[in-house]
Amino acid sequence: MALFSFLDREHSVAGENYSRWLVPPAALAIHLSIGQAYAFSVFNLPLSRLVGVNDSAPADWKLSTLGWVFSVAIVFLGVSAAVFGAWLERVGPRRAMFASALCFGGGFQVAALGVALHQFWLVLIGYGVIGGIGLGLGYISPVSTLIKWFPDRPGMATGMAIMGFGGGAMIASPLSTMLMARFKTPTSQGVAETFVVMGLIYLAFMMFGVFSVRVPKPGWQPAGWTKTPSARKMMTDGNVTVDRAVRTRQFWLLWTVLCMNVTAGIGVLGQASPMIQEMFPGVISASAAAGFVGLLSLANMGGRFFWSSLSDLVGRKVIYATFFLLGAVLYALIPATGHAGSVVLFVLGYVIILSMYGGGFATIPAYLRDMFGGVQVGAIHGRLLTAWSTAGVLGPMLVNYIREYEIGHGVAKADAYTTTMHIMAGLLIVGFVCNLLVHPVDERHLEAEQSLLSPANA
Amino acid sequence: MSAANSSSSGSLGIKLLLAWTLVGVPLAWGVWQVFKKSLDLFK
Repeated sequence: MALFSFLDREHSVAGENYSRWLVPPAALAIHLSIGQAYAFSVFNLPLSRLVGVNDSAPADWKLSTLGWVFSVAIVFLGVSAAVFGAWLERVGPRRAMFASALCFGGGFQVAALGVALHQFWLVLIGYGVIGGIGLGLGYISPVSTLIKWFPDRPGMATGMAIMGFGGGAMIASPLSTMLMARFKTPTSQGVAETFVVMGLIYLAFMMFGVFSVRVPKPGWQPAGWTKTPSARKMMTDGNVTVDRAVRTRQFWLLWTVLCMNVTAGIGVLGQASPMIQEMFPGVISASAAAGFVGLLSLANMGGRFFWSSLSDLVGRKVIYATFFLLGAVLYALIPATGHAGSVVLFVLGYVIILSMYGGGFATIPAYLRDMFGGVQVGAIHGRLLTAWSTAGVLGPMLVNYIREYEIGHGVAKADAYTTTMHIMAGLLIVGFVCNLLVHPVDERHLEAEQSLLSPANA
Repeated sequence: MSAANSSSSGSLGIKLLLAWTLVGVPLAWGVWQVFKKSLDLFK
């Protein structure tokens, strides 16, 4: 449609006076917005009191029911990233970011209607399905563009964007609380109004990303940098299509690498507050435990930038080997810090673990670029994110069920996490072995960059 | 350097400053909120 032709890839090619350093803010505008998803739990309690206002009434939604909104959003994140990745590579980042902004901002409006009418299915479809599609599209849309603009530092570039996803919750959580307090009345929790305002804010903020993102001209390279035959043996000079990539051993090894790294971190992240209180009974208050959760969020965000930038210097394989070996050692040692009563060592151990959890997310696009080339890396990344969805189920399940089993069999609460941590250490060893088995893809999978960019393959 | 080049690099510098401020300010505010909360751990 001519009206939307400004979204076309050919209309977003950078001019002579464009700086590549304008691309990370565009990517951050998208990721800082969609990172709100991690702060959705701030709405759970108010949403469970829409009828009763001060307390939950029988007609109110239960907390267990509300948990489905976030779960459905994360499932649709994974599904849409996997399904729309190839479309993104064809139409370019601007159209994908635009679609993401409409879905994410629009999803809030549909969910607001659901809250106003007290129709749970509308909230589920609005935030979970429509918003979830916006999450998936937004998550992958800037990745391949950043890699093309920063062929000299792909880890740092994608790390900056994916760091925004971690930072988004830090903005959304206090912002949501402030808005709900502003709109709250004696008869309303103010959630519907908060959804409307947040949807509009995110739509406007994401549009900044849509209008400022540019793709480089074909063949563009940073000044002073020339593409040489790969200095590191792990980097390919060719390109692999997404359909062919998913049929390689390397894709599934990296899928397992991401899945193991995320599983080991995500379960702990969800249980961090009760865990530190139960491991140090009488020492750590609920307020101090909330501080611990905050510190882990900072480590998660900082690790995304630090580790992915470091991977540009030392290589992705070394970075993941560090995550898995150091992570396994820390998981094996942390129960001893609990027994010794050392809060400082316990906190330090988890800060390092969570920094590596974030680092795993941020470094994987550059690892994929090394393996499969940059032309379809966004689409390949989209398919790989199904590992995240799998880990999102596996991690919390392992932590919660093993803890319940241990307590049910008479183990003291302070010791109930020991087995879980040893299992996490085992999972990290599995990840270490898979990472060790990653080798460059066979040359028969590689295709010429020009043939991948031609309309026939687009 | 010609006047046209100088003006163009000046406007690019302003664009860069505005773009990074637009995303940096909310991010810094969010980090500060979490950092304040995390201090409770050390009280």
